[in-house]
Amino acid sequence: MRSTKPSRLTMVAALVIAAAAGTAGAVSASEEGAELRLWGYASSEAEDTALTALLDDYAATSGITVTFEPQPEYDTALQAALSAGDPPDFFYIDSLRLPDLAEAGALAPIPDDAIAEPDDIYPSLVDAFTYDGTWYCPPKDFSTLGLIYDVAALEEAGIAPPTNMEELAAAAEALTTEDRAGLSFGAELARAGVFMLANGGYIVDDEVSEMTLDTDENRATLQYLADLFANDYAATPASLEAGWAGEAFGQGKAAMVIEGNWIVGFLAENFPDREWGVVELPAGTAGNATYAFTVCYGVGTESGNQEASWQAIDYLTGQEGAAAWTAAFNVMPARESLREGWLADHPELEPFMNGAEYAQAWQFRPGFADVVTEFNTQFEQLISGDTDVDGFVEAVTEAGESVL
Amino acid sequence: MTAAALPAEAAALGGAAGAAAPKAKRAGPSYLHRRDRVTGWLFVAPAVLGLVVFLVVPMALTLWVSFRDWTGLGSPFDSKSSGLNNYRELLTEPGIRRKDFAFSLRNTFYYVLIVVPTQTVLAMFLAFLVNQKFLRGRGGFRTLLYFPAVTSSIAITLIWLVLFRTSGLVNRLLPIDDINWFDEPNGLIHNLLGVVGVDGEPSWLRGEVFELSVWEWLSGPSVAMFAIMLMTIWTTSGTMMLIFLGGLQNISEEVEEAAAIDGATWWKRFRLVIVPMLRPQIYLVVTLGIIGTWQVFDQIYASNAGGPQKTTLTPAYLVYAQAFTNSKAGLAAATAVLLFVIILFFTWLQRRVTGSSEAK
Repeated sequence: MRSTKPSRLTMVAALVIAAAAGTAGAVSASEEGAELRLWGYASSEAEDTALTALLDDYAATSGITVTFEPQPEYDTALQAALSAGDPPDFFYIDSLRLPDLAEAGALAPIPDDAIAEPDDIYPSLVDAFTYDGTWYCPPKDFSTLGLIYDVAALEEAGIAPPTNMEELAAAAEALTTEDRAGLSFGAELARAGVFMLANGGYIVDDEVSEMTLDTDENRATLQYLADLFANDYAATPASLEAGWAGEAFGQGKAAMVIEGNWIVGFLAENFPDREWGVVELPAGTAGNATYAFTVCYGVGTESGNQEASWQAIDYLTGQEGAAAWTAAFNVMPARESLREGWLADHPELEPFMNGAEYAQAWQFRPGFADVVTEFNTQFEQLISGDTDVDGFVEAVTEAGESVL
Repeated sequence: MTAAALPAEAAALGGAAGAAAPKAKRAGPSYLHRRDRVTGWLFVAPAVLGLVVFLVVPMALTLWVSFRDWTGLGSPFDSKSSGLNNYRELLTEPGIRRKDFAFSLRNTFYYVLIVVPTQTVLAMFLAFLVNQKFLRGRGGFRTLLYFPAVTSSIAITLIWLVLFRTSGLVNRLLPIDDINWFDEPNGLIHNLLGVVGVDGEPSWLRGEVFELSVWEWLSGPSVAMFAIMLMTIWTTSGTMMLIFLGGLQNISEEVEEAAAIDGATWWKRFRLVIVPMLRPQIYLVVTLGIIGTWQVFDQIYASNAGGPQKTTLTPAYLVYAQAFTNSKAGLAAATAVLLFVIILFFTWLQRRVTGSSEAK
């Protein structure tokens, strides 16, 4: 989900921009010569190379050397380092994981004025890294969900990309053929949740303190989804023999999928011939909705050189660093001021960018992962007809109440 | 975990079993001089140190952590005590944690029930085959049969995923409806009953016992779990075959010849002479099988992560998931302790049932 694979060309562009942006902010003399360790997910080699290039450039101007150490099995590695009291100087934190880390007191909050122009960052992304009123870390970039459609298939069926739920259902029906599902997305809360949000409902309240699944809106939404799957207008990637929806789409087994902007690099690399378009997710009765998936650079309470770390983070998430970084990949800059510049390079991805305005952060609270798993399990049963909406709502609500 | 851990365990247990046999002349510690005893301890000190650091301390810590509310994200010594809460969540409090634990027990119980007997019988059969004098190229067959055991379980899992998908080879070869095996949550017994027209949960089996309905307990391992069982049987049979082969080669030809002269048929020789003489090996293989299968993890991790519909959830996977994705290290430790108790119990039970006469 996190992996994005850029083409060589964009990488070269990134390096050029990174080099051009080589006037990093003023650094107090005391931090010069600092050597920092940054931990992150091991993703593509190209991503590692681009980040290293960005960090090299920063080192040249600031005198702060940051070594990027990608970790296979990242969560496990970070957890071991934290419990041993020896975390890296700063590290990636997924918004989903933030509450656990914050609750455990493992994270140092952002010192005053450490991050320049915080108001420039999209509020929904600041919220994603705020827990119990404390803002812990600035986002490095973000992704949202959109509706990706097969241009040829829609033309053939003579329909326009759907903009609301009724049109989506009609389009899914019209696009379904013998060997192609009209719509495909993973049977999980991270996809199904946007339908509930669009119709004014959700699984929990805003504070994640109470289950709110048992409402008429949610029941209607769930029934709508169950019907789509029951009629085979929608199918899960697994049932289409694909690892994820992007693969099903690339192989032509689905005409529309709900995925994030990471699909762009994947399609360019693996299925360059498939012509695709993207629109914002269809609106429900309460308007548009999407999820924002985002990762920040955080500093551990027990991290060694915190002051230098915050300076490096300020550069990486600041206007120069973030512009260079997001030029390299199909991830989006978290700063509003960079929106236009980024869109000039990626005009076709505007629907993803627009999601920033109304996106819900993909985040709950510690211990809630069990409920998400139960939702996914029950959702599989709902769409395969093994349970109905009543059974679904009852089982998930029960699971949630036993945790909250 | 199973395949990789087995050779080491086999060596350890095999060594113990071998040492137990010739215990006629044993010099008790009282015969040793004090200085000799010190020297002896010095010699074993590195091994003892290793055991303490890597076995005793972690086990003690696990037990301690299982009574604490540790997130796994800071030092365990800063965590709060939670008394019996973790165990209560797993055993007595109705809720999602107990339900997941119940699922993992059901899945693994069926897994052990099918994998252990099958792999034992298959391994014995294979060992018998490759031990035949007339078989040409025996060495080659032995190597081939042992091959899965030395292959990475993750790699094998990935191959299995390809073989068992909807358009995979297995569906082509079998005269059944094309299904994606790893995406099939229905129980095997459920599917068998489907042939006689039982479709879905009968109302009289809806009562709940320990979070799951009677039907859920009885409907058997899911098709997805069954595919994983086949994989485990295939990979571990080679290892177990080696153990049986060692046993078979200890049976002298005279014994078999004598039986043959007495007029025993091939089948009688196998059943009444070979199998009884393989008793220590059978005991070892079943014990290793029970220990290994209850801890099944990597096949689950690499294939379905507990799905579809939690039918491949196992206690070992639950430990991982709670500790590393849900920040519930205390709960994970409690699950691990319960798994330890379960394995201990079944190993003890197995020893009572099959091991008693062997010990005489």
